[in-house]
Amino acid sequence: MLSVENLTYTYPEGTEAVRGVDFAIEQGEIFGFLGPSGAGKSTTQKVLIRLLRGFQGQITVLGKPLNEWDDSYYEQVGVAFELPNHYQKLTALENLSLFRTLYSGDTRDPAELLEMVGLAADADTRLSQFSKGMQMRLNFVRALIHQPDLLFLDEPTTGLDPVNGQKIKEILRQQKEEGRTIFLTTHDMTVADQICDRVAFIVDGEITLIDSPRNLRLQHGQRRVRVEYHQDGTSSPAQHAEFPLDGLADSDHFLNILRTNRIETIHTQEATLEDIFIQTTGRSLT
Amino acid sequence: MDIQRIAVLVGKDARLGATNFMAVYVLVMPVIISLLIALVFGDLLAKTPRLGIYDPDVSEKFTRPLLDHPSINTTIYDSDAALQSAVRRGSEELGLSLPAGFAAALEDDSAEIDFTAYRWGEASGRNLLLLESALARAMTEGIGTSFDQLPVTVNAEQIGAANTQTWSQRLLPLLLIMAIVLGGLFFPAASLLDEKKNRTLVALTSTPTSLLDVYLSKTLIGFILSGIMGTIILLINSAFAGQVALLLLVIALGGLMSSAFGIILGSVSKDMDTFLGIIKAVGILLYAPGILKIFPQVPEWIGRLFPTYYLMNPLLEVSQNGAGFAEIALDIAVLALISVALLVLLNSVIGRQQQKLALET
Repeated sequence: MLSVENLTYTYPEGTEAVRGVDFAIEQGEIFGFLGPSGAGKSTTQKVLIRLLRGFQGQITVLGKPLNEWDDSYYEQVGVAFELPNHYQKLTALENLSLFRTLYSGDTRDPAELLEMVGLAADADTRLSQFSKGMQMRLNFVRALIHQPDLLFLDEPTTGLDPVNGQKIKEILRQQKEEGRTIFLTTHDMTVADQICDRVAFIVDGEITLIDSPRNLRLQHGQRRVRVEYHQDGTSSPAQHAEFPLDGLADSDHFLNILRTNRIETIHTQEATLEDIFIQTTGRSLT
Repeated sequence: MDIQRIAVLVGKDARLGATNFMAVYVLVMPVIISLLIALVFGDLLAKTPRLGIYDPDVSEKFTRPLLDHPSINTTIYDSDAALQSAVRRGSEELGLSLPAGFAAALEDDSAEIDFTAYRWGEASGRNLLLLESALARAMTEGIGTSFDQLPVTVNAEQIGAANTQTWSQRLLPLLLIMAIVLGGLFFPAASLLDEKKNRTLVALTSTPTSLLDVYLSKTLIGFILSGIMGTIILLINSAFAGQVALLLLVIALGGLMSSAFGIILGSVSKDMDTFLGIIKAVGILLYAPGILKIFPQVPEWIGRLFPTYYLMNPLLEVSQNGAGFAEIALDIAVLALISVALLVLLNSVIGRQQQKLALET
């Protein structure tokens, strides 16, 4: 679906923002591109959506070199930017209807899309009266209006409350089930962990690691379990103990704690994506 | 370039532009000023051509069609002196002093017809044209033969300063520049700046719409507005006369020049404040030929230094002096050259805007 080989991009003033990046995305995959601000993730996305020209390297999208695509590229590609960009004097429905007319292929009903992200009741409200979260949801569904094969989404859950954030993640999973490929740029590790099939860490214009969140957690976490408990079933201060996962069923100490104490929590000690990012790149995400 | 997408964008811009205060202000102002000038200086309420006749013989056969003419205001005077006085005051734009025996001469095919016509110096060319054609028809009907075969001698006499321009004629060049240039320039620039401010430009170019489509749609709407505004101003000022096709050609070229200049300004301006600053700074250069025309004593060559002269001058030549293509060909050529140069510049600006768009997103 998308392959990038040795991508390098240098801005006109000389800053080398992306250095020899390689990755490939399969159809139906949700690929997370993670990194702190200034790491090169937005530059990579801008190159991939043909906003930035003059890159070095080979990029093939939908079976064709990126350089050979014309504006018909956007008939098959949907883009949602990090910041809302709508006509503030038009209503939500009018905004979607306007963009719908710019595509020549089949498009989705704008009212149906608004319903999908909980904006049906505000369909006839001018965008100037929308909150940032509402504008972000509209940003997101606008990218889906022409049913693209490939979606480029930049921080799609930024500014959303947990309920709406969850709604967007569900829609993304649904899009994946329908066979769409999603390139997700984010610095939100939780979102990436929950919905991405694979993630790439990018720092200083270079990809340091690519794998599935599960593999990363397993590779970089500890194979241990941590138990928090109150001794003898009393309300005494919580105590904790850690045990290796291997041979856990044969650990008398572990089994004894389970039998004789009131258990507060039991967790395996996988690393979070954020821990792995810091561990592998030596950088934080902020 | 996609015509359908451009049409969609033109519709969107027209709708959004109708709620843009600055754009509406720029379009409405020249019309309001035109109407005010016409009201104050009388042209609007006194558009009917005024004819005065001194006819001692009561040549009913000749004067009746003129008195009954629906588009001419004809008054009969008791004496030649009274007629001359009325023409001097401007109460009549044309005064006919018919000699004794005029009625009999009309009846006699072979008789020489000789009379005096007093012309008010400030009479508008359009009204004089209408009066002359009405006179010719009345005379033809009176004698029963075609006008060019008539044995008529007209002694034309001008009363009042020759070539004196009315205030509405003096202000017309400025109004034309305001209407055509500002009408064509402001809308594309304001619309593009709005798109940049709301980041909708990048949203549009992330669809199959190209930046060229966006720029063309805005240039087109500026061009249309410019044409409409130019025509309205000419009509209000009773100057939509002469060769209409030539007037429309000049307005079209002026509209192209203005809208291309507007979209370039909108593209290079960071925001609306910067754009307005540029307009304040270069506005005088745009208006200069119109301002200079208010003062007839200023040499014509000074006006020629400014690009808008080549829009204004041919319009005035055609509408006020009845010029044809040959007389204004040079002005049209210069105007066309300026428009082409701006379109070439626009092409390069679009390329740069593409880069800026990526960097600013």
